[in-house]
Amino acid sequence: MSYPNESIRDGVARWATRRHFIKDCSLGLAGMWMGASATGQAGAMESTGHGARGVHFPPRAKRVIFLHMAGAPSQLELFDYKPDLQSLDGKDCPASFLAGKRFAFIQGVPKMLGPQFPFKQCGESGAWVSDRLPEFQSVADKVCFIKSMQTTQFNHAPAQLLLHTGNQNLGSASCGAWTMYGLGSENENLPGFIVLVSGGKTPSAGKSVWGSGFLPSVHQGVQCRSKGDPVLYLSNPDDVSRQQRRRALDSIERINRATFEESGDPEVLTRISQYEMAFRMQTHATDAFDLSQETAATHEAYGTQPGQESFANNCLLARRLAERDVRFIQLFHWGWDSHGAGAAEALNAGFTDRCNEVDRPMTALLKDLEQRGLLEDTLVVWGGEFGRTPMRENRGGKEMKLIGRDHNPGGFTMWLAGGGVKPGISFGETDEIGYEAVRDKVSPHDLHATLLHTLGIDHKRLTYFTQGLPQRLSNVTQPSRVVEEILS
Amino acid sequence: MRTDFFRSFLGIFIAAAFMLPVSVEATAAEPIDFNRDVRPILIQHCTSCHGGVKQAGDVSFVYADFVLPPDGWIVEPGDPDASVLIERITTDDPDSRMPPPDEHPEPLPAEKVATLTRWIAEGAKWGDLWSMAPLVTDAKLPDHDFNWARESLDEFVSAGVVANALTHSPEAPPAQWLRRASFDLTGLPPTIDQIDAFLKKCVDAKSASEVDQVYAAEVDRLLANPSYGQRWASLWMDLARYADSRGFEKDPHRDMWPYRDWLIDAFNRDMPYDEFTIKQLAGDLLPDPTANDLIATAFHRNTQTNTEGGTDDEEFRVAAIVDRVNTTWTVWQATTFGCVQCHSHPYDPIEHDEYYRCMALFDNSLDADLDDDYPTLKVPADRSQIEDAIAAQRQHEIIRNERNEFGRSFADSIAWKSITPESASSTGGQLEIVGDHVQTKSGTFPVGVEYTVDFAAGSATETKSPITALRIEIARLSDDPTTGPEKGSVLSELDASLVAADGTKTPVKFADVFVDSLTGPADPRDALKGNDRGVGEFPKLNATRWAVFVLAEPLQIPDTVTLQLVMRQKASTSGNIATPVRRFAWSASDDIRWIQRSTNDELRRLDKALAKSNSRVNKIEGGLLPVMTARPNSAKRETRTFTRGNWMDRGDPVEPGIPNVFVKADETLAINDRLQFARWLVSTENPLAARVWANRIWAQLFGRGLVETQEDFGSSGLPPSDPMLLDHIANRLQSDHQWHLKPLLRELVLSSTYRQDNEVTAEKHAKDPSNWHYARGPRTRLSAEMIRDQAIKTSGLIDHQVGGPSVMPPQPDGVWQAVYSGASWENATDAQRYRQALYTYWRRTSPYPSFLTFDSPTRDLCSARRIDTNTPLQALVTLNDPVYQECSHALADRSLTISHGSIEHAIERMYRSVTGQFPTDLESAELMSLYRDLCDPSSTAQAADSKVDSAAMSIVANTILNLDKALTK
Repeated sequence: MSYPNESIRDGVARWATRRHFIKDCSLGLAGMWMGASATGQAGAMESTGHGARGVHFPPRAKRVIFLHMAGAPSQLELFDYKPDLQSLDGKDCPASFLAGKRFAFIQGVPKMLGPQFPFKQCGESGAWVSDRLPEFQSVADKVCFIKSMQTTQFNHAPAQLLLHTGNQNLGSASCGAWTMYGLGSENENLPGFIVLVSGGKTPSAGKSVWGSGFLPSVHQGVQCRSKGDPVLYLSNPDDVSRQQRRRALDSIERINRATFEESGDPEVLTRISQYEMAFRMQTHATDAFDLSQETAATHEAYGTQPGQESFANNCLLARRLAERDVRFIQLFHWGWDSHGAGAAEALNAGFTDRCNEVDRPMTALLKDLEQRGLLEDTLVVWGGEFGRTPMRENRGGKEMKLIGRDHNPGGFTMWLAGGGVKPGISFGETDEIGYEAVRDKVSPHDLHATLLHTLGIDHKRLTYFTQGLPQRLSNVTQPSRVVEEILS
Repeated sequence: MRTDFFRSFLGIFIAAAFMLPVSVEATAAEPIDFNRDVRPILIQHCTSCHGGVKQAGDVSFVYADFVLPPDGWIVEPGDPDASVLIERITTDDPDSRMPPPDEHPEPLPAEKVATLTRWIAEGAKWGDLWSMAPLVTDAKLPDHDFNWARESLDEFVSAGVVANALTHSPEAPPAQWLRRASFDLTGLPPTIDQIDAFLKKCVDAKSASEVDQVYAAEVDRLLANPSYGQRWASLWMDLARYADSRGFEKDPHRDMWPYRDWLIDAFNRDMPYDEFTIKQLAGDLLPDPTANDLIATAFHRNTQTNTEGGTDDEEFRVAAIVDRVNTTWTVWQATTFGCVQCHSHPYDPIEHDEYYRCMALFDNSLDADLDDDYPTLKVPADRSQIEDAIAAQRQHEIIRNERNEFGRSFADSIAWKSITPESASSTGGQLEIVGDHVQTKSGTFPVGVEYTVDFAAGSATETKSPITALRIEIARLSDDPTTGPEKGSVLSELDASLVAADGTKTPVKFADVFVDSLTGPADPRDALKGNDRGVGEFPKLNATRWAVFVLAEPLQIPDTVTLQLVMRQKASTSGNIATPVRRFAWSASDDIRWIQRSTNDELRRLDKALAKSNSRVNKIEGGLLPVMTARPNSAKRETRTFTRGNWMDRGDPVEPGIPNVFVKADETLAINDRLQFARWLVSTENPLAARVWANRIWAQLFGRGLVETQEDFGSSGLPPSDPMLLDHIANRLQSDHQWHLKPLLRELVLSSTYRQDNEVTAEKHAKDPSNWHYARGPRTRLSAEMIRDQAIKTSGLIDHQVGGPSVMPPQPDGVWQAVYSGASWENATDAQRYRQALYTYWRRTSPYPSFLTFDSPTRDLCSARRIDTNTPLQALVTLNDPVYQECSHALADRSLTISHGSIEHAIERMYRSVTGQFPTDLESAELMSLYRDLCDPSSTAQAADSKVDSAAMSIVANTILNLDKALTK
């Protein structure tokens, strides 16, 4: 045999086994994201002796809801309380903080900028949360803060790629795509990896942050919309009724079946089943995205208004999709790039709007998931692609009218909740001014390893062979570890 | 590659192990073959510790000289007992056994030990990786069916069919072949008229050889159709990562379409692959390049440009160079080069520094991740003007350089006397004087910062002769070359004056400015006008740069007067990041010839020529096509290795070149630039390029390459399913057809292999589920492009315009929501709405959704292989996408019109135009009954056949477009 080594050969064999398995189910490749049986049969695949993909150990989470705050919110105005920074406010930044650093916009010697909003300690855990998130203060005990996130990228697109694909360059697969590749879907009538975008913009790195990269394209995220067709081309055209569509599909099936008899090509059978799935998806997706089915109390709790494109609507949709066992639900909310160059994103202006947009819905989502018993097997992840500087931005080397902070890869906060994560703890620390993570640093690769771990996957064993390497989400060229300390 | 292939991958896994010639276990009679028998054992059991990355105990099984004498010490050829390798794999001593028992409890299986022992006993002959070995030209074919073969390749296929106890399929019905060949050659289905004419000719033919002539004539018709170039350009656009935008955040528009049109034209003219290669990789370095040669170089300008505010332009310039290196090696060599960026190749003998030698070949281009994509060429939309327009721009560059050279060469030939300022101050941070240099000390130097540099009376010139020119040297702050390029350093404007003791100022006038090298679009004389980009280097400072300011008249500085220079700096990179000069030194010349030269006739002539060409170039209107342009040698970048691939951590400098493994031992190969590299790639010295291109072509026609991993011909890829066949078609392409694609395609589609029926019995399917041995014709899904083009073609909506700017067919609202971008998708309302798929606007961050659904890559990076899938989202596209609805209506209307309202005829017509076949009775009956069931009951109550329900008819049309037969070829 001419496979380079054990891991590659295993990879190919595993791959082969999966295809083989799917053939038996007449599901085709789509089975990997549509097929109900993909995970249900994981045990059976293991027993084939080829180390089939699927879980490596009992999972704590069955699904993930990833809330990405695109543009990178300031940790210093939300969760990372730094009283020492207040005393430095307005003073020149010491040279030691600037040596060897690269900034996006800061030039020369900027001034330090104290926290812009009051903080208070919340719940039994005593976690610090600023007054910008009054609702969220009530659920601080449900989440695990990682205060010591650290990335290597200080521009949005590369940092988002790193956070979602484990590589700052384009071409790698997103964490959702890896999850689909590893586990498949549990609901054959909906895509298994759904992306919802609000804030009027897609993330800086474009659709690659939910792309399949080098993995087969079936694993890519399906961007669904809260306005118009939730899934592109889901609705029948205006002049075709559902009954007519059914009748047409019957003809397609009968003719395709005859084609299979003639051609002997089993791909035809797969196509027949994909058309049937499409027909079912039309009802199921429409139903899943129909927010009018929710009670007034729920709408009140989330702050939702059906028909709008909003983070609130997307949070409620996330819960509805979680109920339907969609495997990976990813929300992007744009508008956190608080440079202070314009009012829409300045800390003393638009930042508060962003906080208001997310505070209620993300709080309601956590409570709602918990109430419905979904939080225990759903991992919720919240955060941006990097943090912001404790220095005030001085674009062009000058003092700006509005207040803002520049990009800071050295330290930022993310929080996790649900699926196997310890609630009510805070992990890691930044220095006294919130500039650099100094204790228990967590990289995006560590986050990926941990995320896969909660799903029952050993990040070192979920591999795909391409470009001469058994690639993995946690990036085979970088160090990574499961952050055991935050797991319950 | 099709899903059914995937599904039976296990089958292939087994087939590869037990059936394929390359993998057959050595039999006692046959000598050991290193590649076939030994390398797989080493790679599976040894190279993870003794490979390219880890070389435990200084042993590596990737390199022969680590294993064999004189340098290697673990194998004694001819003497297994004296070989350390055998001793270590057979010993019982757990401390010395390999692989180590703690991690590998089971020792190496006895048969593998036996193979290695025999290999050594037979002399331990090493072998190159199969793909790097010379093409085999004298293959001896085993038994095969001579009578069946039409083309030489058929004999190879037949040998495989016989060896595997299969039988050839009968010839495909002519209509099946015509549909397949039409899509494969032109990307479009045949029209009903074309099918009818072809069938008639086949029926009329009096002999088998006449039939063959009919087929051949049909192929010639298809190859001559302009659609041919469009179909094959689409393949190359995936490899070239073609897009109409620059990538990343704002993802702004880019005028890339002239390159796409060049591709179409190159394929239509059947440009040989060597020429095609050289022009794309190094067209700018050809002697006296034509407009087309320059347009072709846009191939490597399809890399992304990051225009996000506050990015480090060097970081993304490097990313683009890395992409060019990796793409080149993937496209031409199917070599996984990317991994060598960080460390030596784990399986193939390519060393870490060799990556950077290749990078050095690409490192010296002028582009530098600038927001305007400089350097670009204006390409007029009117094709007839392109040649002249580009010639004018090229001429302009030549004159610009000539003019600067006039001053540069003189400046280099004379002596300069350094002058040290008495004081230097800034409107921003603090400056300090160190020796004869001035440098930034502390503080902020924002955009618009001004330095005032005073030269005290007497210090400016110790000789008493008057000054005629001043020279500034703009230097890096760091003397350490491993820190890489620094932030840009630009002097936007220089003012000089004489300041008398009482403070009165007399301005000093300059006549001209020359620089060491032109590395950007700015005219050095801009530094007298206060434009942003005067002199220095932007966006990055690589090494010391200089500029000479020639005085209008000799300047005698009186004893009590100070020479004052005011240096203004306005340039900035995106995000308003200033690029001030941070370290500089001034020197002066008293050579009187500067003054004479500034009134010299030659300079006047150049000025006139420049002014004329400038006004010519300014009048040209057209898109801005990014092109490849070499940096002048005088400003050459020094390429260094990146330690563990980190571009900010540079190691030793490297010279340009290619990995040693590609160079024959007895050969000295000088590869110093892109042109030499491109020529080597397509030379007979390099067997990979022919194998890789032949394999891609095969894959396009048969759905899978002879090497299934089209992107990886290395140890980590799959071996060829039929190495002799692969080498045969590679030879045909490279030698017999002199790299012309059309004659190769001609023999492929006319071969008996391709002409086989693609229908298969269950029994035959079970024997070779994925058609590994080509005992039947290929049956593959249409590509994303073909699916669209079939719908617009059969519905008669198609607009056949070839080339031009990309267009926007209907796309759902709200798909484009890029950050910080005002660009919007405007659905075309005219004929542009019905252009062929390859003209659809390709925005990297948000590609056309229905194409992605049908497995188009995003074109962020080079994509060597599309993997076909079969999903419900695809069904939703062809059922509901308004594009397919519009086509369904048009197809129904058109067919009804031609059929004079006869439902039955119209349905048959629709069916035939979409599938290329007559409907079977079952299909006709099914579609008729569908139509009747769909008809509005109020109208069917009366005579259904006399009154047409066009809504029902368009659903029938849509149904036909969704049949499996419509989606496959």
